[in-house]
Amino acid sequence: MPLKWLLHWQPNAGASVNSQILTEVSQCADSMNGVKEGRWKSTLTFYRPVIRVQDQALTSELPRDFLGLSMHDQPNKYYFIIRAQRLVLEADLSIQSIMEKLQSYKTRVALNFEGIQYRLGDFQLRVGKVAPINSESLRGIVLEVEYLPISSLEKGRQIMAEFLEIWQEAVSKRSLPGHFMHMETNFADYGLSDHYSSQHTAVQYAIVMAQLIASAQLRS
Amino acid sequence: MHLGLRRLGSTPLTLKSFLTYGIFLQHVEALEILLQGLCGVQRERLRTHELCLKSAPNLGAVASEVRLLCDLEQTEPTWTVRHVGGAMRGAGAEQISVLVRTMVESKVSKNVLRLFYALGYKLDHELLRVGFAFHFQRGAQITVTVSSVNKMLKLHSTDEAVPVTPGIQLVEVTAPASPENYTEVVAAVSSFCEYLAPLLHLSKPGISTRVVPTAAAATASLMLDGGGTTL
Repeated sequence: MPLKWLLHWQPNAGASVNSQILTEVSQCADSMNGVKEGRWKSTLTFYRPVIRVQDQALTSELPRDFLGLSMHDQPNKYYFIIRAQRLVLEADLSIQSIMEKLQSYKTRVALNFEGIQYRLGDFQLRVGKVAPINSESLRGIVLEVEYLPISSLEKGRQIMAEFLEIWQEAVSKRSLPGHFMHMETNFADYGLSDHYSSQHTAVQYAIVMAQLIASAQLRS
Repeated sequence: MHLGLRRLGSTPLTLKSFLTYGIFLQHVEALEILLQGLCGVQRERLRTHELCLKSAPNLGAVASEVRLLCDLEQTEPTWTVRHVGGAMRGAGAEQISVLVRTMVESKVSKNVLRLFYALGYKLDHELLRVGFAFHFQRGAQITVTVSSVNKMLKLHSTDEAVPVTPGIQLVEVTAPASPENYTEVVAAVSSFCEYLAPLLHLSKPGISTRVVPTAAAATASLMLDGGGTTL
């Protein structure tokens, strides 16, 4: 599948993310002659263990960052990520039903990543806001950049970097209080190869989520 | 006969039916001939590593169990997670000659054992099932598997497995169903299983069974016949 980079909006020190920034970023895509191709949505869920009797030893063993992800471009799949253990799993949607029946983990919070998709030549761009489900409260902004002709992470690196340079320059002209950031990921740590897959995307979402949480904690 | 309901995500509920009594090894070839005649399809080989995991003490609202199945017959082993629910109870359940359980499955990538260990699940036991399966249409999409159940002498060592009950194999019959066609599928599976009666004794779990007296004679008859008759 095509190579994809996931970026997140990093506000400047003292600044926060807001819907005006989202509007400006979308206008950036418009100004680059991006063709609107419709809406997209992915949902990230934070799980927490259900402990029926207080057990400190058990609580300390269990993961604090157990995430589930449903993706807009994989409607029949579900993904689990435990970043601390460099673990990513791809499953059928029915895995959610299994987890509900096990009753060992429950949803702590779920966030939607959603917005509009643009086509710019061989690139697909998805600008998205991050908000809790059933809430309009904006917690972040993300950008998916997909280069359609190439699936190799290494082979696509240079062209992705060149595209992002153009994109970042366009965004910087709007003098917004922040910038988009791309986190370099060692996919091999997760047992993933150079050939891009949805599991790579799941890992990127987990890493971006960690960044959004860290930024929010710093600002508060 | 033991029937279970299995929900496969958005696909219809699946009835899972399997015999509580095993078949003696010396009758398996006859059963295969019988099934070949009944199904009209080629058998498929079956070699599945089954790991049963249980939740750590105090984890979960209730103690839970999940099974990981690794299909070793594929070029690249493929994994499935299976959850089997409790048995249907009540007056309705008492009246039918089958035991009904829910079952949910999901195909997963190969990291699944590591994931469940990380989530606080422990290996309770593991098995290796070796045998064959038939998949065919007969009033319902039916699958029959005949397999030996083997235990591993060393952890995960599928090359060193020995039968749990030497000389006896397990027969399972499965069919997908939905709430709308449940009764038709039950009838189709029950009707099909009656053809197996000469070789197998069908009983609800919890009721003691015995070797069906016709097994030896039926075997002899099928072996002499050569299995060329389609039923």
